[in-house]
Amino acid sequence: MIECGVFKRTYEEDMAFRHTALARWRIYLLLLAVVVFPFVASEYYVGIANLIGIAIIGALGLNILTGFTGQISVGQGAFLGVGAYTSAILAIRLGLPFWLALPGAGLVTALVGSVFGIPSLRLKGLYLVIATLAGQVIIEWTIGHWVDLTGGSQGMTNIPSPAIGPLTFASRTSYYYLTYAIVLAATVFASNLFRSKVGRAFVAVRDRDIAAEAMGVHLFRYKILAFAVSSFYVGVAGSLWAHYLNMISPEHFTVGVSIEYLAMIIIGGLGTVSGSIFGAIFMTLLPVILRELTGPLSAMLPITQVFNALREGIFGIVIIVFLIYEPHGLAKIWRNIKDYFRLWPFSY
Amino acid sequence: MKNNLLIRGFALVAALALIGVMLAACAPAAAPAPTPTAAKPAAPGTTPAAKSTAAPSAATPAAAKPPIKIGGIFDLTGGTSDVGAPYADGVKDFVAYINEKGGVNGRKIDLIGIDYAYKIPQAEEAYNRLTTQDKVPVIMGWGTGDTEAMAPKITKDKIPFMSASYSEHLVKNVQTNPYNFMIGVTYSDQMRVALKYIKDNYKGAGNPKVAFIYNDTGFGKSPMQDGKDWAAKHGVDWVDEEIVALTALDSTSQLLNMQKKNPDFAIIQETAMATATVLKDAKKLGVKTKFIGLNWASDEKVIDLAKDAAEGYIGAIPFAFISENAPGLQEVKDFNKAKGVDWNKHNIRYVQGWISMKVMAEGLKQAGDNLTGEGIKAGLETLKNYDTGGVTAPITFSPQSHKGALKMKLYEVKGGKWVPFTDYIQAIE
Repeated sequence: MIECGVFKRTYEEDMAFRHTALARWRIYLLLLAVVVFPFVASEYYVGIANLIGIAIIGALGLNILTGFTGQISVGQGAFLGVGAYTSAILAIRLGLPFWLALPGAGLVTALVGSVFGIPSLRLKGLYLVIATLAGQVIIEWTIGHWVDLTGGSQGMTNIPSPAIGPLTFASRTSYYYLTYAIVLAATVFASNLFRSKVGRAFVAVRDRDIAAEAMGVHLFRYKILAFAVSSFYVGVAGSLWAHYLNMISPEHFTVGVSIEYLAMIIIGGLGTVSGSIFGAIFMTLLPVILRELTGPLSAMLPITQVFNALREGIFGIVIIVFLIYEPHGLAKIWRNIKDYFRLWPFSY
Repeated sequence: MKNNLLIRGFALVAALALIGVMLAACAPAAAPAPTPTAAKPAAPGTTPAAKSTAAPSAATPAAAKPPIKIGGIFDLTGGTSDVGAPYADGVKDFVAYINEKGGVNGRKIDLIGIDYAYKIPQAEEAYNRLTTQDKVPVIMGWGTGDTEAMAPKITKDKIPFMSASYSEHLVKNVQTNPYNFMIGVTYSDQMRVALKYIKDNYKGAGNPKVAFIYNDTGFGKSPMQDGKDWAAKHGVDWVDEEIVALTALDSTSQLLNMQKKNPDFAIIQETAMATATVLKDAKKLGVKTKFIGLNWASDEKVIDLAKDAAEGYIGAIPFAFISENAPGLQEVKDFNKAKGVDWNKHNIRYVQGWISMKVMAEGLKQAGDNLTGEGIKAGLETLKNYDTGGVTAPITFSPQSHKGALKMKLYEVKGGKWVPFTDYIQAIE
């Protein structure tokens, strides 16, 4: 079973999505696991899986912008808000079905994202962080104060669940399949994006923008395009979130959410599709696991009192630990494990 | 090189384990900080030890019946924790009290409390956990913003939800919100009573001028429109609105703004912290306006924090203070005495939590063995003029109204104490 190399004899093989049989089978197995999951897990865990799915789409979006194109954004929370509120407003005020509200939310968020991406042509690194932070604050303030449209601090309730004819996606299990269908599409698109000209241009911009420009990459176009594609993903995630919770408030889209998403892609692995998935799973499960751990302890200790503070603290520690010991994130750890077993026992 | 990577991988795993250790180490270190009441287990009925100590006095068949699970969504660390933490203690202590007495219909109550830090997303998360993981049939809730946001879900899931939010939106129409209950007088009614007092006691010429100080949350804004409508209808000039955040430590700019309109009265819809800030700043600036606080803005803590700046401050309050001689407070006093807790360190919020849970327990008792959401709702709706021993006005729920108590008293701070100066009064539209 030991391989000594991957040989490609045709262009089709070279262009294949996955190169080895093992890698292909792993994907089939994963898909099967995703389909079977709601049959074996309790409703509560299906609910968590839904949140993970939504986070995966959002994290993919941020990773396209920050991980692949190198444009750091802390406006993620606000862009999620733009998507969620657009979708809710389209569905409630205009009575559009979810199937139109979802892409509508994606497009509006893409537009807003590209507007806030314009400063990226002049600003890099820390300066861009501050510019996107300004975007976050402006959008958050607008959502909170445009009371007629958004309901202000009380938010919006009664956001309808998606429906096709008599079939509604109101239960957690039905929403699970809807979410993961979109996750699948988003993942495949993102994976393929970086095998295309546009994706390569994104990576070139990240690695050295001046060199990229010298090679003929139109910086302005590709930076704005990165903001647009990324924001489209985030808008779709926001829309899914809104129709899943059936209610939203400005508190769902604070700068804390932006930081959480940045943590997701840092822990998962910057500039990898699988990293977005690992990161989303890890960051969504962390508070759940912490709560499960603190539950039994709270009978003896007043730990529920400090749980919320503890959660933030642990997030911080985890990010620091990853930055020190594995800056390439969970995706890299997974690759190390694969390499170890693939080449074992002759790992040199 | 490969080896190096592996070592790094293992180092990471070790580091994660270290976090786990730190987490464990963290916990005992954090132990002394919170209040002693919280140090008690949330639901003694769940621990085997507590069960065995209670068993000899309770009837033996009781042991066969499973406990009643009740969800709790509390604010222990957020914006309203100044009033939320004692409220949660009151709820927990009543559960301990009733479990010592053998529970409800021979069943222990198992309270699963979650702190949501006054954040709507976390309340949502807590609600989902309680309804899908713990499968509770009923929830003791807290804030206005989160309860109003979750109201459609509560209706859909048929979970009776006793909120500590007395927002009129939640009980205005029993058809739209059939599962929301509250024991208190609604904020809007508190507002109407305060405005009526202003109208009746204004000595100057023309209409009295009123300002409203609130916070930008569902809670703060809840009675605003109803207050404006009442003022317009009965000849009170609503001249100004100022936003003071729940955790504000300074309100001078808002008060200076307000002074330009020169209102005779200002109604405060905040919790203790922000109210004390407003009263202190008003004294500092020499503001002549008379302040009237609605329920959550009027408690012992305000006097503790604002000291003599609270003198003459009026409260529109549906609950009895712990210093009052209400017979309904005796059992609470006795319970705390037996536990060796100083009664005077509690306050009106603790009593509020206790009495809310007590009313809920009465509903559970009436529901009998039909402990589904619908059954408990029907049980609560049988309560007619339920006597709380002077802690509140009599409480009535029916299929037409989930408003609980309808009457309240006005209090004034005199010599550092809350003194009632009216009998029970009911709001007029």
